Amino acid sequence: MNLHQCVIDFAGKEPDRLAVTGPADALTYGVLDERAGVLAWRLRALGVGRGDRVVIWAEKSPDVVAAMQAVLRLGAAYVPADGTNPAARVAGVVRDCSARVVLSTATLLPQLHDHLPEDFLLQDLAEDLDGAPEQINEFVEPDSLAYILYTSGSTGTPKGVSISHRNAWAFVDWAVRVLEPTPADRFANHAPLTFDLSVLDLYAAFAVGASVHLIPAELAYAPTQLVDFLHQSQISIWYSVPSALTLMMRDGGLLERTAPPRLRAVLFAGEPFAIDQVRRLADWTSARLLNLYGPTETNVCSFHEVAPADLSRDRPLPIGGTASGARLWAQRPDGMVAGPGEEGELLVEGPTVMLGYWGRGRHDGPYATGDIVRVLPENRFEYVGRRDHMVKVRGHRVELGDVEAALAAHPDVSEAVVVVAGTGMDARLTAFVLPGGDGQPGLLDLKRHLARRLPRYMLVEDVHVVTELPRTRNGKVDRAALAATARQPVTSRPL
Amino acid sequence: MSDDVTSERISGYIRERFLNGDKKGELEETTPLLEWGVLNSMNTALLLMFIRDELGVVIPPTKINAGNFQDVKSITAMVTDLARQDQATIAAGTE
Repeated sequence: MNLHQCVIDFAGKEPDRLAVTGPADALTYGVLDERAGVLAWRLRALGVGRGDRVVIWAEKSPDVVAAMQAVLRLGAAYVPADGTNPAARVAGVVRDCSARVVLSTATLLPQLHDHLPEDFLLQDLAEDLDGAPEQINEFVEPDSLAYILYTSGSTGTPKGVSISHRNAWAFVDWAVRVLEPTPADRFANHAPLTFDLSVLDLYAAFAVGASVHLIPAELAYAPTQLVDFLHQSQISIWYSVPSALTLMMRDGGLLERTAPPRLRAVLFAGEPFAIDQVRRLADWTSARLLNLYGPTETNVCSFHEVAPADLSRDRPLPIGGTASGARLWAQRPDGMVAGPGEEGELLVEGPTVMLGYWGRGRHDGPYATGDIVRVLPENRFEYVGRRDHMVKVRGHRVELGDVEAALAAHPDVSEAVVVVAGTGMDARLTAFVLPGGDGQPGLLDLKRHLARRLPRYMLVEDVHVVTELPRTRNGKVDRAALAATARQPVTSRPL
Repeated sequence: MSDDVTSERISGYIRERFLNGDKKGELEETTPLLEWGVLNSMNTALLLMFIRDELGVVIPPTKINAGNFQDVKSITAMVTDLARQDQATIAAGTE
């Protein structure tokens, strides 16, 4: 199976069935198929063929989903870049994966001119194109590259996680078996399309001929509007980071309204979900609640379905046991397999483990997640923490070194250390900066500087200009001390 | 409320809450707030609540887009416009 056959099949059988909606438009399977077909034809004319990469840089919309399908039909791979990413970073991704074409929108495309060669192929993904003379549907091998998701890299260069059709489908197939969706289901898509949570929303919906309802980036954390969206779009399967649900409960009045009768599953992943919030959610809805776990490199490899017994616990939910056919074990620091009650780094082997990082050779053997877990009975796991400086901000993974490298490139900065203050919904990146050069860097000036280099979710919120950085006894920067300082509120925080 | 007052209240809130008081006085009416991450997904929610509670203007979902939140100027224009519509509705209702 591959990621584009379903849309072709449903378009043939039931073209008038709803496939995807955005704030401005809704596409049936028939129209989605037609748009994908026409754009595939144009891309072929531009020279895109099997094994090529196409970067799609845009705000999410039904047209973007059609563009993803178009690329796949050529046997090529799509590389999504969020519409809010700066042009310089997108150009870096284009070069890194040696993309053949960039698909984008009329407002964004001109911004690339300063960053890419003059003759680079750019295509407006919403252009009104003539019909395709015939359908394009290249055969793809299960191990063919389907998409590359770029994530933060520790040295300041993003890493491209290469996912094959087999990798993605193993996850989608698992999700379909667990959720048993029907064509009547309505999936919400909360996550950006650059984030692997979106893979479930789109492809589990398409696998059964259901519909997916896109939430634009600007609405993703607008509490009352999200609650309205849940009701008005009659969502039956919701999947997001816990932060979004917490926000809807805290500021959006989610629990004050009766749970939507069609809501039958609420899935969350990307960060721990505070147990009291899970409890409130469980009191409110009879929908199934599922905690999903997995880094981009393995997609979802474990899950835990909330049961009544969980609600009396005082620790976060377990990340649970195997999903998507994965084999999971924890490795102790001495290299031995950790037993029940012991801690170790979680290792993953199985059909969802990525092909590799783009340009760095094929990945072989189990994937070491960098996540420290505690082993529970029946080969289930509980998340404990990280073994490196990678942090999560509302589910987005951020390598602190990536942000520090960008800050240090500012002429008025000689050294920078970034820490996370707060957890869950209130997590914020805070920078400690040693001034260099002639001037004291201004807060807005630093924000502007970062915004040209990093995606939005990696921009720091607070900056402390300091004259020295605290050190541990062996001379390393004392990150724990800085994190404690960062937790002291700079200004009063809202309730 | 005049445009200037609205603009100043919105700027003041952004300075205090999101820019640590803006000690260097860098914030301008046309500073690109979304692009530079001054407004992010969480801050925008706070600003929406401020506008609702303190300025008495509820912003409908259809108005929440990058264009209307790009800088203080565009936020002010949207808020004054919505406030004017509200007043027109009230006036029409009392006739």
